[in-house]
Formats: sequence, structure tokens, C-alpha cells
Amino acid sequence: MRAQFRSRIRLVLAFLIFAALGIILRLYFVQIVYGEDYSRKADRQFSSGGGELFDRGSIYFARKDGALISAATLGSGFLVAINPQVLADPAAAYSAITAVATTTVSRDAFFAAAAKKAQVYIEVAHRLSETSGQALAAKAIPGVQVLRERWRQYPGATLASQTIGIVSYGSGDSLAGRTGLEAVYDGTLSRSGDSLYRNFFAELFSNVGNLLVNARDARHGDIVTTIEPEVQTRLSSDLVKLTERYGSKESGGIIMDPATGAILAIASHPTYDGNNLQNVDPLLLGNPFAEHIHEFGSIMKPLTMTAALDAGVVTPETTYNDTGCITVNTRQICNWDLKARGVIPMRQIIMQSLNVGASWLATEMGQATFRGYFTKLFGEKTGIDLPNETGALLGNLSKPQQVGFDTAAFGQGIAVTPLQMIRALGALANGGTMVTPHLVSAVRLNSGIVRTLDWGGRVPVFATSSVRETVSMMGALNDEILYNGKAKIPTMSVAVKTGTAQLTAPGGGYYTDRFFHSFVGFFPSYSPRFIILLYTNDPKGVQYASETLDTTFLDLVHFLIDYYAVPPDRGLSAQADLPAATRL
Amino acid sequence: MPFSLVSLMGGTVAVLVVAYLALIAVVMSYAALTIEFSQSLRNDEASVAALEGQYLAAVAHITALDYTAAGYAQPVLKTFVRAKSVTALR
Repeated sequence: MRAQFRSRIRLVLAFLIFAALGIILRLYFVQIVYGEDYSRKADRQFSSGGGELFDRGSIYFARKDGALISAATLGSGFLVAINPQVLADPAAAYSAITAVATTTVSRDAFFAAAAKKAQVYIEVAHRLSETSGQALAAKAIPGVQVLRERWRQYPGATLASQTIGIVSYGSGDSLAGRTGLEAVYDGTLSRSGDSLYRNFFAELFSNVGNLLVNARDARHGDIVTTIEPEVQTRLSSDLVKLTERYGSKESGGIIMDPATGAILAIASHPTYDGNNLQNVDPLLLGNPFAEHIHEFGSIMKPLTMTAALDAGVVTPETTYNDTGCITVNTRQICNWDLKARGVIPMRQIIMQSLNVGASWLATEMGQATFRGYFTKLFGEKTGIDLPNETGALLGNLSKPQQVGFDTAAFGQGIAVTPLQMIRALGALANGGTMVTPHLVSAVRLNSGIVRTLDWGGRVPVFATSSVRETVSMMGALNDEILYNGKAKIPTMSVAVKTGTAQLTAPGGGYYTDRFFHSFVGFFPSYSPRFIILLYTNDPKGVQYASETLDTTFLDLVHFLIDYYAVPPDRGLSAQADLPAATRL
Repeated sequence: MPFSLVSLMGGTVAVLVVAYLALIAVVMSYAALTIEFSQSLRNDEASVAALEGQYLAAVAHITALDYTAAGYAQPVLKTFVRAKSVTALR
């Protein structure tokens, strides 16, 4: 028994000795024989500071057929970093990197980085493609690390860039949305790094509630905009042509569904490419439609006319004596051509864009009534989902001088944002109610739920009957005045108004030779599907908006009719026997 | 065979050790697959984004195209719908 016990002890001891020898042998191979290989492998697996890859939800354009096209998404590829302590041949490494990387640091900067022997990680190239990154990694150059990276990518480049916004580093070291929709919906789009992988078993004991219902999945997601990419492209293209043709300081345009406030296109020029923010003027990063205010000029007249009709101060048959110029509080107000029209009906105020007529309407309404309507129209921000929305300047309506009301009646002396303007004019298009302009229709949550956003908040301003009278005047302007009547589309009623405002001079007062042109129109006139607001700031060599913006407007109208197959709302009458075909 | 507490405990420990190792294997595999699938998804999304970029560039190109310069003739006739037409005043 004792001998048997001793032999067992020897057996166990022998096993332990062999095991120990095995471990020692393994350590010898790991540390001595293959030590260098493991060291290189560990070096290549070194991760940069944060360790976690950038992640963020997508922003989508919505095509007319419902297909979603990315406006902002994630690019995926590789970055290249060097470890100067290990890098033996900087020249060979630089050649290998520049052979695959389109953007890398300069040769001098690379060698300066390689000389920093106290550091172990310096990034030298970014955004390598999948194939380029893997090709470089396969070379296994000592001291060169190829690491996975992701970045924010905007497939449309300049398309709606000021509205989509940008992602950048703020005061901290984290990337976040800074402008546009990226900023407004940052809470939905941003991702915390630990959401990718959760230890099921650890969560089972420590946080079973989070395992079953992830609060982040109910908060994080992608956003779907109302912007139609082809309409947006058309508007952007037209604005570029417009700005370049007239040398304007800036031009902008909005196309909106007046019934819902959904913005189909919103563009301005100049703009920037969100993929390349180097050398971008910081002033361009804001959104001009929500942050900039302008005196829009005569496109304000239809609002003045509708307010006067709605208040019961005038009817379409009312006449007034147009003297060409009037003096109010020692200031002279004149028609654009300084000419008197004599006794004329209301309709002519819109059709001939008469400042004296608009001033007469304001005077007839009285200050309190006029202030009431215009405060309702412009007194509050629109509530659009863009950051830093500014309010209107309506100071002249708080002063007792009548001249402030008279000039406001034709769009001078008060300044509003383009979004406020289209929202107010949208009330003429949709029967008298202001809607909330908006850019996002739905949020697609990570949980799979699609949350449709409710953009209620409709503000009734005018009675439908008042609006119809003004729309009739605007329709006549398109059919009879614009392009001397050639703008008329026999099968589609279009309501329009042009606006030309003098630009304010820095020392006070107005320039006499510099203008802000604006144009508004909607169609079909009595049940509009689209309202278009255009403006161009300080165009050179032209005075009136009818010279600059009518071509752009009509191009957009014809494009939208074709693209959306908008059915005719009127036809050639059989009795009139007008030619069904026009030779061009 | 008499009941042996040592054998029972030994067996229990063996089962627990095996279960522990299995859990570690499952968790590690799960983590590796999750990360691999996630990266695969991101790569696909990036590929789709590249295609979307091409689509939007094509739309911009077509929009900016001067048809007459490209050899297309301007239409000579523009026809409108008559009031009596089935398509008018829908």
C-alpha cells in the first residue's frame, strides 16, 4: 500500500514536471524565438486614443416615390499611423503610404513625425479605401499601423449642405452636430460607443432591464427629411446660374408644400461641401433662411392687400386716386416709375406693384389693425427644425409715425427671414392659415419603430374669401404682366408677385442703386401643391426682380409640373378657339 | 456502491468548470461576431453611400446639361390641353 502510494506520488510529480517543462518551452518560443513577430503584431493592433470607432445615424433625402437617399451617412475605411520608435525605414514607409493614400501629410511633415522617437503613435493619412488599406496592411511594414476608421460623409456634397449641417469637434474631444439638422437632431443621431456590444451574461446579472428594453434604441435612430433630391438639385443648379449671371452677393430659394409646411427644396448660393471643410468661410456654415433677415420689398404687398380685404377696409371694387408720390411724416413715398395712375381699383395695386397704393391700404387700415395682422404674420419665429432661428425686425410698427406702416406695406422698413416670408405667403396659398415649415418628416428609431413627426401648430390669419381675391390678382399678374403675358401657362393657373427692395446703406438710409430682389409664386393657384420663394441679393446691372428671377421661377414651375405630373387645373376653352399648339 | 461526497463535489466542480469555459467561449464568439457583422454592415453602408453619391452626381449632371449643346433640337411646337380633354380640369 505504501509503495503503491509512493509510485502514485512520483507519477503526479512527473506529470507536473513535464507540464512545467512544457510551459517553459512554450514561453521560450513565444518570447525568444517568435518574440519579434508578436511584438510587431501587438504594435499593429495598437489603437488610437479613443479606441472606439465613430458612429452616428443617417440623414436621408426622400424621393417622390418614397425611396430614401442618404444626405449624411458614414464613410468607412482606414487611417495610417506610424510608431517612430519602431519605424526603421521612413523613406520606404512614406513611399508605400503615398502609393495608396490620396491624402497624406507632406514628405517633410512625415519625416518630422518619424523623427519624434519619444512618441509611439502619429497619424499620417486618413480615409484610405477598403482595398488600399488592406493592401498597405498586407505589406506589414514595421512601425506602420493601418487602423479602421469611420467618418461623416455627405454623398450629395454641396446639396442642401447648409440645411443638413456639419459634425465637428466642439470645445470637448467628441464629435457632435454643430449646425443644421445635424445639430437639431444630435440627440437622435449621436451614438454612445458601448451600444455596439454588450456582454449578455454580465448584463443578465447586473442590468437585466436594459437587456430587455434598451432605452438607447428608443432614442437613437436615423432621420428622414422632406427634401426631394431631384427638386433640390434643380433649385441649386438654377441658383448657381442666377448668381453667376448677375454677380449677386447671394441667392436663395425655398420650395414648400403650402398645405403642410413640408419643405421640398431649400438652397442657397454660395454654399460649401460638407466633405471638405478646409478653407470654408465660417459665415457660410450658418443657415441663411433661418438666421438672416431681409427687407423683401413688394412681395409683401399681397399680404397687405389680403389684410385690408380681411379687415373689411376695402373690397376688390374699391378705388383710390394714385398720385404717383405721397409725403408721409415729411418722407416721400413714390411708385417704382414715379408715375401717377389716377383713380384705379385695388387689383392694380398688385398687378402694377404700386407703392402708393400699398401705403394707402396701410393708412386705411389704421395702425392698430395693420400692426395686428403683421404681428400675427411675423411676430413669432416659424418653429422650423433648424438651429439659431432669428426673429423679425418689426420696430417700425411700434412707433407712432405712419411712415413706418406705409413703408412696411410694400416690404421696406421691416425685415424678416426667408422662412418667415414663405410661411406668411403660404397662408395666401392654402386658404388663410400659417403652417409650420419643417424639414424632417420622420425618425426611424433603432428599435425598428418609425416615428412620424407631427408638425401641427396651424395659425389662422385670413378668411378664405379674402385670400381668393388676392390670389386672383396674383394670377392676373402672371397671365397678363409677366413676360408681357408670355409666362401664362394655358393649362395651369400660377399666382406670382415680384419684389424689389433697396438695400440698406451702412450709415443709415438706403442705396439708390443696389437692390434685393425677391419673387414668390404658387400653383395651381386655387389649390397649390407648391409655393416657391426666390431671392437674390445685390444683383449687378439690373434693377427689378422681374428681370432677374422670373426665368428661374418659370423654369422651376415647368420642372415641377413635369416631374410631379401635376394635372392641369384649367384648359383652353373651346369657344375661344385659341390655338391648342403654340409654335416656339 | 457507497455514496461519496467527494465524488459528488468533484463531479459538480467538473461540470461548473466546463460550463464556465463554455460561457467564456460563447461570450467571446458572440462579441467577435457582433463586431464583425457590425463592421460588415458599415462597409456595406459606405458602399451604398458611394453609389448614392454617384446617383446624386448623375442627377446634378443631367440637370446642368445643355441639351442643345449636346445635339438635341429645341421643340418647335408646344401643345396644351383643351378644356374638353379628358385630362383637363381633373
